[in-house]
Amino acid sequence: MSAHEQFADDLALDALSALGGEDRLALEKHLETCPACRQEVEQLRVDVSLLALSVSGPTPPSRCRERLMAAIAKESRRSRARLSKPMAWWRVLEWGAAVAAVALVALLLRQNRDMRGHIAELESNSVAQQQQLVQAKELMATLTSADAVHFTLVAGKTPPQPQGKAIYVRSSGTLVFLASNMPQLPPQKIYELWLIPPSGAPIPAGLFRPSPRGSATVIKPPLPPGVEAQTFAITIERAAGSSAPTSQPILVGTRG
Amino acid sequence: MAQLYERYASIVYSVALRVLGDTGAAEDILQEVFMQLWRSPDVFDASRGSLAGWLAVITRNRAIDSLRKRRPETGIAEMVVSIEPDLAGSTDWSRMLERIRGVLGSMPQPQRSALEMAFFDGLTHTEIAERTGEPLGTIKTRIRAGLLTLRKAFNR
Repeated sequence: MSAHEQFADDLALDALSALGGEDRLALEKHLETCPACRQEVEQLRVDVSLLALSVSGPTPPSRCRERLMAAIAKESRRSRARLSKPMAWWRVLEWGAAVAAVALVALLLRQNRDMRGHIAELESNSVAQQQQLVQAKELMATLTSADAVHFTLVAGKTPPQPQGKAIYVRSSGTLVFLASNMPQLPPQKIYELWLIPPSGAPIPAGLFRPSPRGSATVIKPPLPPGVEAQTFAITIERAAGSSAPTSQPILVGTRG
Repeated sequence: MAQLYERYASIVYSVALRVLGDTGAAEDILQEVFMQLWRSPDVFDASRGSLAGWLAVITRNRAIDSLRKRRPETGIAEMVVSIEPDLAGSTDWSRMLERIRGVLGSMPQPQRSALEMAFFDGLTHTEIAERTGEPLGTIKTRIRAGLLTLRKAFNR
């Protein structure tokens, strides 16, 4: 029996769900903090179940059983249908995944094929560039080799004359200059090449000393790109070179 | 479920019929209680009591709810009902019923009536007091005494 006699009667009513109003609210509040009364309510509910069983006797009509079994069978079918939906859904997912995998493989194969083509193209370009590089190196080696022998072809019995050949690419400011039959200079002097634009001062385009045979090359001197060249000229300057011509040109060449 | 129905349908139907006094309504409650048991069999904890007592009480609660034309207030999972010994055996069951009815029959009529009005008619103690013209305190005492009498009869 609960130690809280003031709630004892209400506990019985509560077990019967027969307690209402303020009494019920007060009891619920008390039960929150009283384990003994909660246990007593549990016991009283057991007592109530005895009361419930006392009326057992009448048997339900047979149709009740049929109705129940039919309802259970119907709900079972629904449950199976509900269960089958996720399976179908998953199967759709599986098929979707398979299709996606096939598409992915196709995409990868295509990318692989494209990549192979790209690589072949790069390889081809690389081979071509390597060939060009080899040719350029050979050209440079030929032009700059100390063993190179320069031949100047002239008409008739004309003695060899100093001459120069400038090959200029304006857009990149690249210049290759070849000279031949150039007289030797004293050590304190040097040849200086000039780029002369249509307007403005001549631009220094490199210093050179001829080989014992009078040949000389100037390869890619530092020039600003985009400068139009109207004339190239060569002057003799002091050994350190000059920022502006200090003598008359010994060779002058216009575009031709 | 078929075996459970064979064994306990009478208890459920009897309680529902006693509360509602209408066979059609009692059949509906019978259907509802067993469907609920089929859908959620785990709400009954066998370690805490017999299925018979549990079904009887939840049936009463559902029937009272139906009687008052309101939505169910008591979920079957909330009910904790225990009766020992277990009523699964038909002999024990018959003996148990005889004892319960014997105890109720031996109760003073006002006491038994108050219990039945509270349990089977779903009346509050205030309503019972109004209907019987007895003081509230008297109704409370009678109901509690009646339940304790049942408990004492089963040495609980």
